Amino acid sequence: MGKRVNATGIAVLVFFLLLGVLISIRLTGLDSRFPNPIGGALQRALSPVEKTLLSLGSAIKNNTRALWSFHAVEQENQALREKVEQLTGDNLKLKQEVLAGLRFQALDEGVFRSPDLDKFNKVGATIINRSPTSWYQTLTVNRGSTDGVKINDPVVANLGLVGKVVSVTPTTADVLLILDGEGQVSAMVRGSAGEATFGIVQGTYKRGSRLSSDGNLQMMLRRDDNVNVGDLVLSSGLGGVYPKNIPVGKIKEIQLDPTGLLKTAFIEPLVNFDSLEEVYLVTGGK
Amino acid sequence: MRYLLIAFLFLLSLILPGTVFYFWDWSGIKPDLMMLLVIYLALHHRLLTGVIWGLGAGLVQDLYLGRYIGMYTLTLAVVALFSSWLSQRWYRDNFPLMTLLVFLASALGQLLIGFLSLAAGLAWSGQDIIRLVLGIGIYNAVLVPLTYPWIHRSFMYGWLRYRPKYEQ
Repeated sequence: MGKRVNATGIAVLVFFLLLGVLISIRLTGLDSRFPNPIGGALQRALSPVEKTLLSLGSAIKNNTRALWSFHAVEQENQALREKVEQLTGDNLKLKQEVLAGLRFQALDEGVFRSPDLDKFNKVGATIINRSPTSWYQTLTVNRGSTDGVKINDPVVANLGLVGKVVSVTPTTADVLLILDGEGQVSAMVRGSAGEATFGIVQGTYKRGSRLSSDGNLQMMLRRDDNVNVGDLVLSSGLGGVYPKNIPVGKIKEIQLDPTGLLKTAFIEPLVNFDSLEEVYLVTGGK
Repeated sequence: MRYLLIAFLFLLSLILPGTVFYFWDWSGIKPDLMMLLVIYLALHHRLLTGVIWGLGAGLVQDLYLGRYIGMYTLTLAVVALFSSWLSQRWYRDNFPLMTLLVFLASALGQLLIGFLSLAAGLAWSGQDIIRLVLGIGIYNAVLVPLTYPWIHRSFMYGWLRYRPKYEQ
């Protein structure tokens, strides 16, 4: 006689197993501070190898880029030549405008070396790993709690905001990029006259794809808000995580909501997340 | 030796997707090497042993990622169960068939991660989930002709050879 299968027992077991996993997933989500000594030890042990492999891969990719994408490099070269000519002209124009003391011009120049970035206590860090799965936009850096890094510390690059720390080991830290759908930033748009419009910038999955960094930030605004293409988006400092006035991006496109009540601004990040190699972790003075 | 080698393969599966495969991704899609390794382990072990490997590998990956503990544990156990169940019906030495098996098992695993992510409150669009499920499934399947012949040979005759207790 064959073994009798207790279907009810199996169903109850599967139910409680699923329930347990879902509760565990909920309790250990992003920003949770549950102790994870095994994960920390793994990260510590593997980080030197990861760093070597990542820099090796980066060097190979950079040195062979012209071979793999010859046409693209040629086009880029052409575009850069045109850009240099245009920028030379713009530069002359800008000098004249700066002399004229236009406020917007000063702001626009500030994008490329925001003075606000200089006033924070920062720890320089090298990226040693990108997200091992395709499901998150995260990266791992070679600084951890021994360097004073804590969860929720903002992460910036030379041009602007990168993200925030979501988990820390003594020697490494995981950074959630602002491109990720979970990485919202309390922000403000600075118009050409310097007036601020407040809102939330978040990684988008409605336009294009979350998998690519192109056009990956969006901000919901009221229909009457006075914002324009080209306006600068800065952190507002209201969320409690990011300090004020860190550049996030520039508005690339504005679309009216089908209801006519809202509009969505699509933002081009100032930081090139694909080629990012070093970042600063803001550890104090926020 | 066998367990040391498997532990080494686990570590490689954790490290490579974020480093080497970061430069070889297809529009943001990287292979899920841990899932691929669990499928290979399940194909060369009995059902229960395969599922235990899946649970262990999933837990290690969850702890390494440091968030949503249980997501990969459950997923890789289910993937191991599915792969083991299919391998009892499909011929293991038929490489094209194994490529299809890896695609199906990887797609199932990624679909499960997608559902668990939604249950965890992550905002993913259906279109992106489908892209990831198919993309990672295909990427893992593409790696089969490059990796399976070596792994299979090692499991059958080499260092990874599995001997059930009654054979020892």
